[in-house]
Amino acid sequence: MAGSMKAVKLRIKSVQSTMQITKAMQLVAASKLRKAKEKADNSKPYLESMLATLTDIATENTEFQSIFTQVSEDNDRWLYVVIAGDRGLAGGYNSNLFKFVEQEIKDKTNVTVLPIGKKSVEFFKHRNVPILTEEYAEVAKMTISDCFQVSKLICGSYGGGGFGHVFLCYTNFVSMLSQVPTATSLLPLSDLSTGERVSDGKPRDLILYEPDSETVFNAIVPEYLAGILYTSINISYASELAARRTAMEAATDNAEEMIETLSLYYNRARQASITQEITEIVAGAEN
Amino acid sequence: MPNFHLQVVSMDGLDFDGEVEKILLRTIDGDVEILARHTDYCTAIGMGTARVTMADGTERKAACIGGMLSVMKGEVKVFPTTWEWSEDIDIARAKAAKARAEERLKDQMLDKEARVRAEAKLYRALVRIGSSDHGQDHQ
Repeated sequence: MAGSMKAVKLRIKSVQSTMQITKAMQLVAASKLRKAKEKADNSKPYLESMLATLTDIATENTEFQSIFTQVSEDNDRWLYVVIAGDRGLAGGYNSNLFKFVEQEIKDKTNVTVLPIGKKSVEFFKHRNVPILTEEYAEVAKMTISDCFQVSKLICGSYGGGGFGHVFLCYTNFVSMLSQVPTATSLLPLSDLSTGERVSDGKPRDLILYEPDSETVFNAIVPEYLAGILYTSINISYASELAARRTAMEAATDNAEEMIETLSLYYNRARQASITQEITEIVAGAEN
Repeated sequence: MPNFHLQVVSMDGLDFDGEVEKILLRTIDGDVEILARHTDYCTAIGMGTARVTMADGTERKAACIGGMLSVMKGEVKVFPTTWEWSEDIDIARAKAAKARAEERLKDQMLDKEARVRAEAKLYRALVRIGSSDHGQDHQ
């Protein structure tokens, strides 16, 4: 009995120290989360106005043409930009995204990925999926200028002999408790060119584009994509923190429960051994 | 001089919102200055120092890189990728970036893509240094 009591005591100690770690991680994630959420929200107005301008240019000009809006049906080369985390211990954050991406690319033959984040690079390397570049293995260190490089890389390898479609996969932040993997189309910007100009009887506004609308359009597209990337990275980061917070909360609760059961067992064993000792002493005195 | 309403919205959020007299910035097609009552206008922004003259006549400088300028019905909106007011610029960091880029460009074996990248970094660093409080405009 004494031996097992010592083992239980040790176990309680080890669970306690694990709980300390999970608790700390939960608090850190919770405090970082607020900042990350703010950052993700801040870049929304920028994107909205960019998109509005691009749509304006594409719909107002009847003879407008750009390689970024042309849909090439016969080009079956796909590029997937996958934003995942650098570290684990975030519940299903990474694995849910990868499961989702696998579903997406399952029946496409010619897929290349551009992984962002260490886990993403590791996953696609392991699966032997062709990788465009491994340079962006640290999602936490992605700056605006990094996003630009990615965006330029994407625009440069798009069209002609390159990719026909570019998709972006990231984890959308729905609420504190729910983060959903999502895929959005980056290129071609097909939804712009199909949008018919709504005629409301008013004369249309004449806007002066300098040097001309196509040049402005083609100059803005990479910036717009970089903006989307940057925002998606921020949203993904917020999702990662929320997932980590939830996972660590569950782990802390579990540890608490374990400690409770173990202490109950320990106390029972202690009591039993005392009772036994007393019985032995009393039995000895009677003799 | 009449004033107009200017908003600067970058990827990091709203950087400026208020009445100004004029704004001068570098587009992909050269320097452009916007005054009040400008016609509806749209262009892409290059890299350079932006000068904003406030309603009270004081001038503020900022490093303005990339993005878009739009004038719609008298409302002027600047959507730069990055916008840093001269007093917010971290000179030490910009100088370090400049030194790093120059060091990279010394390498004769550098491939074309890496060279373009390093040149862009150097240019951005120069714009930052030039837009800072004591710097000379980078031309």
